[in-house]
Amino acid sequence: MTGVVLPRIVLGHNAFFGVDHLSSQRGAERAAYFSDVANVMTVIASAVDSGAGGLMLSTHPRAVSICEALRVDTFLGSNLEVFPLLPYAQKYVTRANELGLVRVVTQTLAAASTRDKVGLGLDFARTIYRRDPLDMVRALMRLELRMFRKLNVSTVFLHDAIADLLMALNLPEVFSLYESTLRRRFGTAAGIATKNLSLLVRRFQEWGMELPVVLTHVNKVGFQVNPSQEECEKALAHPELAVMAMGTLASGYLTPEEAYSYVNAFSSVKSIVVGASSTAHMRATFGSITASKT
Amino acid sequence: MTGLRGAVVGFGKLGLLHAGLANGLPNSRLAAVVESSAVIQRAVRQYFPDVNVFSRVEELIEARQSDYVIVATPTGSHVSIAEKLVEASIPVLIEKPLSLNAQEAQPLVAALNRNWVPNMVGYMGRYIDTFHKAAQLLHRSVLGKIQMVRSSMYVEQLLKPGEGWRYDPATSGGGVLITQNSHVIDKLLWMFGDITGVLGNTSQLVSRLVEDHVHAYLEFSSGAVGFIDASWSARHFRTPTISIHAQGTNGTLDVDDDEVRLFLDNSIGETSSGWTTWRKPDLYRPVPLDIGGTQYTFQMIDFLEAVTNRSDLDSNVASGLKTQLVIDAVYESARQGGTRVDVGTLVS
Repeated sequence: MTGVVLPRIVLGHNAFFGVDHLSSQRGAERAAYFSDVANVMTVIASAVDSGAGGLMLSTHPRAVSICEALRVDTFLGSNLEVFPLLPYAQKYVTRANELGLVRVVTQTLAAASTRDKVGLGLDFARTIYRRDPLDMVRALMRLELRMFRKLNVSTVFLHDAIADLLMALNLPEVFSLYESTLRRRFGTAAGIATKNLSLLVRRFQEWGMELPVVLTHVNKVGFQVNPSQEECEKALAHPELAVMAMGTLASGYLTPEEAYSYVNAFSSVKSIVVGASSTAHMRATFGSITASKT
Repeated sequence: MTGLRGAVVGFGKLGLLHAGLANGLPNSRLAAVVESSAVIQRAVRQYFPDVNVFSRVEELIEARQSDYVIVATPTGSHVSIAEKLVEASIPVLIEKPLSLNAQEAQPLVAALNRNWVPNMVGYMGRYIDTFHKAAQLLHRSVLGKIQMVRSSMYVEQLLKPGEGWRYDPATSGGGVLITQNSHVIDKLLWMFGDITGVLGNTSQLVSRLVEDHVHAYLEFSSGAVGFIDASWSARHFRTPTISIHAQGTNGTLDVDDDEVRLFLDNSIGETSSGWTTWRKPDLYRPVPLDIGGTQYTFQMIDFLEAVTNRSDLDSNVASGLKTQLVIDAVYESARQGGTRVDVGTLVS
């Protein structure tokens, strides 16, 4: 595994973008509140104050203004590591409903601003014309990651919907491209999100590839854990695995105490990403993470 | 290599997802792809050397390299493709909706009558944990006699006129009613039984050729009444959001993607009286492989099992046709200015 050191507590982004796995209505209400970037920054500052060292940030259209604000705030900019999660899948799913997959990709590339194209030094027209899938992936990655420039980024995560599809289709070359593009172009490690942890460990071993940093669900009730709690616990015991655990509270279903006494028992869990929208909630949750660790 | 050989016709967003499951689940592998786009053909050839690529479904049939086929093309081509596969005795999973309208699906129904093969229509919403639980409860008649059913489906997909086949009725069959809300109609028929009459209204908020909003009053053969309300131009709904409420002589049931809430006057078996709520973590069922939602996996597992055992499925061409007949009746009622229309009973 890469020598990346992950902050123990990473603030999740779901509330900022209206994602709520327990209640769509609550999600929509939060999205409205956090449409004001000042409200997002207040929560981020409060999270850092309460002990968070990182921020997960999907490449949602709204993340652009959050990144802008982080660049301006030098204290947060230097005390907070940002973990990009790409792509924001819903953005492409909705547009693919209209245009089909190929046109979504070519239009996204074609619509990039001239400044971005020049800034990235890419021959976008050639990429669009040749339509080589890996070329397009590389170009899309660079375009999506542009918003994070000058921020403190050590690991980028690939969305589980894409990663799990690539694993199912047995396509190691795309993971290799993803890893090498991040390493060469951005100097960051390649993280992978998955809903199938044991499959990931098996596939990377079959492919003879080093295990990436993994973002995956770890929780006491097995919510979104596949193919079974037992298999995942076995995979979590792998000595070379470094996991950033998500869904630890099972979308608010578990109390922090019961959640973290379970999660902290796994030495492969190096980091925990947790969503929180109020200071009081954050203090309680983050406190439980550190309390049950000792 | 062993296992069932799967083929996918239409290698777009859903085709890719099905291909992933066809390749990743035990006892199955992706053997062939049928796709008309040269760009996608080239990519498949380059990255899947073991997968055969064809331009037309006839070539796939001739090559005899598939034990089952998934049809994930635009709606307007489902029937003609599936009909050829059925004639060739190849089990078929057809993406929803089944067809542009019920009449258009007749040749496929006739082909299945002549030469039955396992067949499925991809109403995967039945496999979402909360809806699965709600249907189990309803099929046990916990609510007593159903009196009233309310349903809604909202998503913020279209705030200005859209591009592409989904917004052209010649290839899509219509707007939000036949596209996302066909899932709701499928669920209502599955949970509450046949719908015999409708009064419908459609409106265009942003589109020129298809409806962006639909509202219809429904009469069920059981005597229950209800309504659908749906829009794909509904602000603040990040993803398609379906809610169903039912009231019966013994209580009420509410189900959406997040939870099931049941209220019963009297206990039924082990289900107690008063309020009971099941949230997603209560109902979660793990799967061997999750790509973009466990509902797709459960659907594929059921389909593969039916292919192996040559057995029938709950969501099949016959049930897909019933959904289509209700959709047709709502469109017809809307054309007549909202008058009551009988739901047809096309029999071949």
